Amino acid sequence: MKTKIIISLCLITILSALFIGAADKTPIAFADGKLPDYIEFKIPDGWPKPPINIFAKNKLSEQGFQLGKKLFYDTRLSVDGNISCANCHQQFAAFATYDHDFSHGLNDQHTTRNAPALFNLAWMTRYHWDGGVNHIEVQPLSPLTSPMEMGETLEHVLAKLKKDSAYPKMFKAAFGTEEINSQRMLKALAQFTGSIVSSNSKYDKVLRGEAKFTYSEENGYKLFKEKCAGCHKEPLFTDNNFRNNGLEINTVLNDYGRMKITGDPKDSLKFKVPSLRNVAVSFPYMHDGRFQSLGGVIEHYRNGIVTTQPTLDPLLVNKFTITNAQKYELIYFLNTLTDTTVTKNPRFAK
Amino acid sequence: MNGKIIHTVCLLLSLCLLSFSNNQKQKPTNPGTVKITFKNTVKGNPLELNTGNYINPFGETYTVSKFKYYISNIFLVKGKVVSFSCEYPFEKPECYHLVDESKPESLQFSFPVIAGNYDSIRFMLGVDSLHNVSGAQTGALDPLNDMFWTWNSGYVMAKLEGKSPQSKIINNKLEFHIGGFMGEHNVLKNITLNFPQDKLLEVKEGKTTEIIIEADIDTWWQQPNEIKIAEHAVCSMPGALAKKIADNYCKMFRIKEIIN
Ligand code: HEC
Ligand code: HEC
Repeated sequence: MKTKIIISLCLITILSALFIGAADKTPIAFADGKLPDYIEFKIPDGWPKPPINIFAKNKLSEQGFQLGKKLFYDTRLSVDGNISCANCHQQFAAFATYDHDFSHGLNDQHTTRNAPALFNLAWMTRYHWDGGVNHIEVQPLSPLTSPMEMGETLEHVLAKLKKDSAYPKMFKAAFGTEEINSQRMLKALAQFTGSIVSSNSKYDKVLRGEAKFTYSEENGYKLFKEKCAGCHKEPLFTDNNFRNNGLEINTVLNDYGRMKITGDPKDSLKFKVPSLRNVAVSFPYMHDGRFQSLGGVIEHYRNGIVTTQPTLDPLLVNKFTITNAQKYELIYFLNTLTDTTVTKNPRFAK
Repeated sequence: MNGKIIHTVCLLLSLCLLSFSNNQKQKPTNPGTVKITFKNTVKGNPLELNTGNYINPFGETYTVSKFKYYISNIFLVKGKVVSFSCEYPFEKPECYHLVDESKPESLQFSFPVIAGNYDSIRFMLGVDSLHNVSGAQTGALDPLNDMFWTWNSGYVMAKLEGKSPQSKIINNKLEFHIGGFMGEHNVLKNITLNFPQDKLLEVKEGKTTEIIIEADIDTWWQQPNEIKIAEHAVCSMPGALAKKIADNYCKMFRIKEIIN
């Protein structure tokens, strides 16, 4: 009898303790008890897990994604109402700027770097060519407020969104109330850009046994694994590290890359290794867009590497020999990395 | 026998859970309130934005148009007893305060504290490294507050802007944006201010106790590092200069008064 009382007393304390704990953790109250439709971020089979879960404190939902997409394509995010994220990040170019070395921002001013393609951002821990941005959520602050890009202030952007007829409802659907603040806007943008995954190119299909390489593609792949994969590591085709691949410094821009952020001379001329997925559609190439074609890039790796830079990557110190035939085989292989589930997917389109 | 075991296990379990949920809440059981007021000064005189003319220890003159800094991770200490100002481990936006001379309401804030006597207050001048790398934040940490670097993610921990004829920068600008939270560029400062021996902080249940803290800009220029405006009128990124200035300004606070 006594035991029974003790047990029930215990149970009551345990339950109430749990209840207090649970109540504390509910992040936001969803007014009408209507939760957004949460979606699971799928890691492709056989891929490494992202080093951090970018959605851990920003639960991915259909409503959050749709809000992020609307923001991404909205020109009102710029001061003159002409420029959206998508102006510089075009879907058919895998969200890079097609055929421009420097992207055009406000009043046709140029950015000082080439706009990178946007996909598989969930596997990155540092954004921008120099890794200066440490979280996907804070990345948009850079283009939004840069006088050369969108030239806006956060205050103005938020005021414009608040006046709009659609946004308050969309913020409510995604985050529970109509409140529009910078944190919610940034989290929504991260839900959109972070959801873009490229894992369905011909290369992926070959690995899954759904397609076959041609003879030249196969040769190109072998050579790639031998010469390039040390930095452009499969399956992401980047190790997301900062390295110097021996480009001559552009004396107009004097861009020393990673060193600008760390202040460490050992990081001089190091840039983030870009993924080579969708590389066939995201020209021009390198942080300053100096090469117009993949042929030009391979020419660099075979003849153009500046060997006098002390920070040159050890993998490139010994000169590459790539024959003309091999050069074309490499390009055939790189072409198999184009993924229409990024470039043509209506889910990511305006 | 059996009953006893169940009893003990149950008791332990519920104790555990209870303390767990208590920890999470950190709501003092018999709280008093502590109100902190920051008084920004130059050599003890109240700071006057834009209009005040000041002289640093090297005879250089300057005015101040902006003066802002982050205060976080605040707790009160009595021997080994610690009372946090905010739910530990300081994750909520309201655990962070941006003291901004141009916004009078930002110079004061209050929090509940367990009643008792305390002999010191500790806080961080800046934003802990975790909150520099955790994505979009709100409240005092909202990037709207113009204290976040967009090209090199991280908070400006303290900002002093103004003008000085000795400045060699365009428009005689004086602009110190001090930040950096990693490795050798870390400018985060943990500050301890002891209350006077004869006047400990007495927090009483249901009552408000006030701490007035003075921050003196005159400390920014020297000890241990000489910062002359003619040589350094701008600091806009993490690095050696920011560290030097932070090593000076970490001594800017003192307890001016306690109103028990
Ligand atoms: C004016 C052109 C322009 C606009 C507008 C623009 N970007 Fe970018 N974006 C760039 C450039 C250039 C970079 C590379 C910056 C660098 O490395 O310093 C970049 C980099 C990025 C990156 C980092 C990618 C990586 O691999 O590190 C993301 C994410 C991104 N932009 C998203 C956005 C979003 C979201 C918006 C809208 C809020 C936006 N961009 C608006 C030009 C632009
Ligand atoms: C030592 C590491 C390393 C190796 C090995 C390497 N790369 Fe790169 N690659 C880089 C880095 C770093 C960049 C970016 C450099 C920059 O923009 O300053 C880059 C850029 C590129 C780009 C431009 C991509 C874009 O979107 O702008 C292509 C294409 C490329 N590499 C192809 C190759 C090929 C093909 C090979 C093998 C022949 C190869 N790389 C070997 C490090 C490497």
